[in-house]
Formats: sequence, structure tokens, C-alpha cells
Amino acid sequence: MAPAVVVSGLTKRFGSTLAVEDLSFTVEAGRIVGFLGPNGAGKTTTLRILLGLVGATSGTATVEGRRYSALDDPVHTVGALLDGGMLHPGRSGRNHLRALARASGVSNARADELLELVALSDAADRRAGGYSLGMRQRLGLAAALLGDPRVLVLDEPANGLDPQGIRWLRDFLRSLAAEGRAVLVSSHVLAEVSQTADDVVVINRGRSVAQATLAELTARSGGGLRVAGPDAVRLGEQLRADGADVVGAGDRAILVRDRTGEDIGHVIAQGGVVISELAPAGSSLEEIFFELTGDASGGPS
Amino acid sequence: MNRALAAELFKLRTTRTSWGVTLGALGLVLVISLGAALAGDFSPGDEPGIDLLEISGLVQIFALVLGILVVATEFRHGTITPSLLAIPNRLRLVNAKLIASTLAGAALGLVATALCAAIVLSLLSSRGIETGARSGDVAELVIGNAAASALFAAIGVGVGALLRNQVGAIIGALGWLFLVEPLLTLIPGFNDVISKWFPSGVASATAGTAESPDALDQLPAGLVLAGYAAVFVAAGLAVIRRRDVSA
Repeated sequence: MAPAVVVSGLTKRFGSTLAVEDLSFTVEAGRIVGFLGPNGAGKTTTLRILLGLVGATSGTATVEGRRYSALDDPVHTVGALLDGGMLHPGRSGRNHLRALARASGVSNARADELLELVALSDAADRRAGGYSLGMRQRLGLAAALLGDPRVLVLDEPANGLDPQGIRWLRDFLRSLAAEGRAVLVSSHVLAEVSQTADDVVVINRGRSVAQATLAELTARSGGGLRVAGPDAVRLGEQLRADGADVVGAGDRAILVRDRTGEDIGHVIAQGGVVISELAPAGSSLEEIFFELTGDASGGPS
Repeated sequence: MNRALAAELFKLRTTRTSWGVTLGALGLVLVISLGAALAGDFSPGDEPGIDLLEISGLVQIFALVLGILVVATEFRHGTITPSLLAIPNRLRLVNAKLIASTLAGAALGLVATALCAAIVLSLLSSRGIETGARSGDVAELVIGNAAASALFAAIGVGVGALLRNQVGAIIGALGWLFLVEPLLTLIPGFNDVISKWFPSGVASATAGTAESPDALDQLPAGLVLAGYAAVFVAAGLAVIRRRDVSA
């Protein structure tokens, strides 16, 4: 079977701006792919093209090998949550969901079951105009799940959720992937997906700047461990003799790239050396993200 | 029933706005009909029955607004996104909206005219005034106004799809009917053409309430109005099919 999602050579031009440029990536069933980039990087445009809402200038984006508009039963294939309110303020949450259920041949009972799942049953009969951002997101998530889809496309799903909600979402996405579903989840905050995603696709100004498993991206940080103290230099020599990649970091500190904290601990114990500090060094995942996206200034978003 | 149509009919009955427009139209017909039938000062031989039934023609405007809302509200609140996710084929979605609006418009026209006829004819009779309305004429008016309202709702769908901006579409449509058309009639020599062939005049002729002796008969008028609806819907569809939906 074709992969859950294939984006291939996708380009979208709005007037003179290139929103997405020659972007390609794949999402396989059973995996969670974090789609990352700063605001305005082209994430939403890419997802909207994938969902047939926006036309591509060139390239293709397919779900299970077909364009979204060519799917026989889109709601039972792909569930999507896109950024934004997308509710009629005068219609109740329950009726919003039921209207979508009718359009996709899903029962009212399923809609009510999902309201229960996203903890909206109590508010479901109130007009949606009074919903908080978090409630809107949860209703949107319920809508995405209506057809029990094999592929989930979620644009900034954590927006507006409280910490418990984010945690719930994380566990929920994991359980969906464990059932063999593919999940494509966008975010402008790396930390949001760093505990969930298997793979990451990082884009900036419409172009892919990194695609890797999360583990690879973390390893790319090259951080290693920083050891400081009176005997640090001597420890460095011992480790180097053992074949470790060690560089000096001043007279009282070293940086060890390819040993774990425990490995170093053993050497310290055996050699009877004195140190004052042993800690992860180098860039955090967040810093790599800023490096990749050239957004080190990190203005408010 | 078709899923898309079922969803559109459900959406229509689950907002206050559509009920507000519908009940507002019927309330207005009720009040004006009562006022005219109770307080109208008629001389013998006026036979005002049919003339008073023209009151029900005002629901055509409300049907037009309802049709505009069915499309434009989705763009206003961004619900077009989930709607299109459920029904990605835009032709199918607009078609469902067209049928739902047309049905709603027809129902509104039917109920409004029947309501107006019941009030006017019974009150005039109870006042001992000769209505002059034969049941055949009344039936033609009821059907005609239902058809005119249905087609105005269809035009509304076309206009809504064409402009997508709710406020702009409503102001544009009402501005055309209440401002532009009346102003155009001021151009010497144009008056007859406009009252005979432009949407307001054609709608009145379809409903059977046109005053001009020159007006089209109900059936040809209905066909012309259907032609207007077809043009607006086709134009709206052409725009909606190509447009990026990005909010």
C-alpha cells in the first residue's frame, strides 16, 4: 500500500511570495511525524494543500496514494484539525459535530461518544461562540476523529490546551500511532512534539531544512558531556587513551562527545580523580531548532 | 437522502440566524397583512383581495438573504474548511447548498403567501368586503410566490459563492434591488425594460403580483428568473472551484 502521506516536490506561490518551495516528505503508517517550523514557515499551507483546500502551484501531496479530493471516503481515511476557530458561533458544539457527521455518513451516537472522549459533553449544547480556545480545539479534534480515520493531520493541536490537555493529547496521539495510524502533527514549538514524534520534518521559509528521526536530530546536537574540576584535564587524558573523543574546554574543563555519563563515572571512580561538575553540554534540541530555522532572535509569536 | 443535502438542511435549522430571517419574514407578513386587512379603507367594487396578497412578495428578499447566508456564513466563520473536508467535491457541496436553499426559499414563499391569504381573505370576508379573489387566482399566487422565493434563494447562493463576504454580498444584493434598479429606472426610456426584465420585476411577475400591464406572464417570468439563478450559480461555482480556502 502507498505510504499514508506523500508530499513530493510541492511548491506554492502566492503572488510573488513562495510559501512552499520544492518540499518533499513521507509519513508512514504507525508513525508520528512532527512537522516543525516557525510561524509563517509554510506548515499550514502545506497541510491545506494536502487536504485539497489550497491548490499547489506544482508538485503533489497525496494520502494513501491519492489526492484528497479523489478519496472515496475522505472522512474515514483522513481526520484533520486545522488552525483557527472554524465554528459557527450560534450553533452548539453538538450540532456542529452532528452536521459534519451527517455529511460523512457517521451516526449521532458516534458524535456524542467523541464529545465524551474530548470531555465536552457538558458544554456540547451551549452555543460555540462562548467556547474557549481549548474547547474549540477539543471539538476540532472530535471532528477529526469522526470517521475513525487511518491518517490524522493536526495543525498546531496543542494551541489553547492547558498542560493536562497537552499531556492527554500526547498520550492520545501515541495510542493512535500504536494502533497503526499515521499522524502528521505540526507545531512551532519543538518541545511540544519532542516527547511524541518519531520523525521530524523541519521547514523554514517554505523549504525543508531537516528531516530525521527525533533521535538523529538529538544526536546531531553534538552536545556531549562537559566535565569540570581540578582533575578534569587528567581525566581527559585517561578517556582519550581509552579512545574517547575529548576536547579541552579551558584549563579546568573538558568536553566528552562519545561517552555516557555513567561511562565517565566509572573512569572517575577507577582513576580516583576529583571533579566538580558533570553535565550535558552543547546545544539543546531547542537551540538546534533555532539554528536550523535561523530564528535565533526568537521574537514573540 | 443524500448526505450532503442532509447536512445542509441540518445546518440551516441549527442556527438562530436562519430562524431569525425566516420568522422575521413571516412576522412581517403577518403584521402587514393584519394591518391592511383590518384597517384598509376600501370602497365598494375595489375587490382588494388579490392586491393585498402582494404583501407576501416581501419574503422574496428574505429568501435571497437566506441563500446568501447558506454560502457566505461558512466563509465568514471558517466552517467552510470542515465542510470541505467532509465533502471535498466543491460542485457537490455547492449543489447541496443550492438544493437546501431552494427548498427553504420555496417553503418560506409557500407559508408566507398561504398565511397572508388566510389572514386577508378571512378578515375581509368578516368585514363584509367583496375580496374578488377566486381560489384559482389565489393558488397561482401561492405557487408563484413560492417559485419566486425559491429562485431568489438560488440567486442568493450564487451571489454568496461569487462574493463569499457575507456583509458585502447582502449589502450588494439589497443595494442592487433597492437602490440601483430604482435609480436605473430614472434613465428615460429604460423604465419599461427594467421593470419587465430586471430581477425585481421578473420576480414580481413570477409571483403573479406585477403591476405593470406589460409584465411577463408567470411561467415565462419564472423561466427568466431561473435563468438569472443559473447564471449567478454558475459564476459562483466557477469562482469557488478555483479559490484557495485558506481560513
